[in-house]
Amino acid sequence: MTEEALWLDGNGLAGLLVEVFGAEMTTVPHDCQSCGERNAVGAHRAYAGAGTVLRCPVCGDVALRIATLPDRHVVEVRGAWRLEVARD
Amino acid sequence: MERAAVLERLSIARAPIRWRTVTVRDVVDETPQARTLVLDVPDWPGHVAGQHVDVRLTAEDGYQAQRSYSIASAPEDQRLALTIERLDDGEVSPYLAGEVRPGDEFEIRGPVGGHFTWRVQDGGPLLLVAGGSGLVPLMAMLRHRAAQGSDVEARLLLSARSLGDVFYRDELSALDGVRVSYTLTRERPADWNGYDRRVDAEILADVGPAASADPLIFVCGPTAFVEQAAESLVSLGHEPGAIRTERFGPTGR
Repeated sequence: MTEEALWLDGNGLAGLLVEVFGAEMTTVPHDCQSCGERNAVGAHRAYAGAGTVLRCPVCGDVALRIATLPDRHVVEVRGAWRLEVARD
Repeated sequence: MERAAVLERLSIARAPIRWRTVTVRDVVDETPQARTLVLDVPDWPGHVAGQHVDVRLTAEDGYQAQRSYSIASAPEDQRLALTIERLDDGEVSPYLAGEVRPGDEFEIRGPVGGHFTWRVQDGGPLLLVAGGSGLVPLMAMLRHRAAQGSDVEARLLLSARSLGDVFYRDELSALDGVRVSYTLTRERPADWNGYDRRVDAEILADVGPAASADPLIFVCGPTAFVEQAAESLVSLGHEPGAIRTERFGPTGR
């Protein structure tokens, strides 16, 4: 199996991200802390293994790590995230 | 742009997510490997074409398996439909695309995913590129376009192993104002006059529209297919930002 076959689009994590952040996240822009490029979360690369890792589609630097434990998600975010959440 | 419209575009919708138990209303064979499940979903909040749902199956011993599947139906359709291809070594798809019967229940959550979506008001021209079952979310877009009576220019390039592997064939040929092109990579009818190889820059240039027309592009399929198609599109001058992709991998859809 090639490495390419192991990653999907960040868009595929939409359900998990709603569970963690309580909002639709795939359209949120993220500025990579390494290369500075801005890409929508949904356009990132998603790797699923023991945990879930979202990587910058340009340079591959980590944008988000989620470890899912029996009773909680442990979340680490990197780079600049801009969230605008609609008010009720 | 109106302030409300700007907010609508920029802000993310707060969406508490919960699992819903759905009931299979109808099962439709699409190909020997794939079936459409038409579902009864209590309190379905509605969706946008291109979105997916997460499906969760729970075994009697409590073991759970979860996968994402694209929504095949248009937002305007009465019922939610998923088309699922059976992966013989899969954990979830052999059940959903093989054993499930009307009346059976399982859980879904969603709709989710705002990145790979299209509404008629997003405009066009639209270029949809599908590899195999990657057609599913793109079909939701074409059904939405048809339901809205939209005349947005739309082209679909579909890559499949053989004609027998193509989902929704009759419906595709009946779509109004959509130019549908096929490439068959493994097996072709004797009188075949479509493309006969994996998607490449030459096919994409032929299908169009040109980069100068600024098309909105959606590519969905297996990871290697999406890579190849997206690279070819970029080589033709399309902006990487105008190309939305949805890959499915070994554990996928």
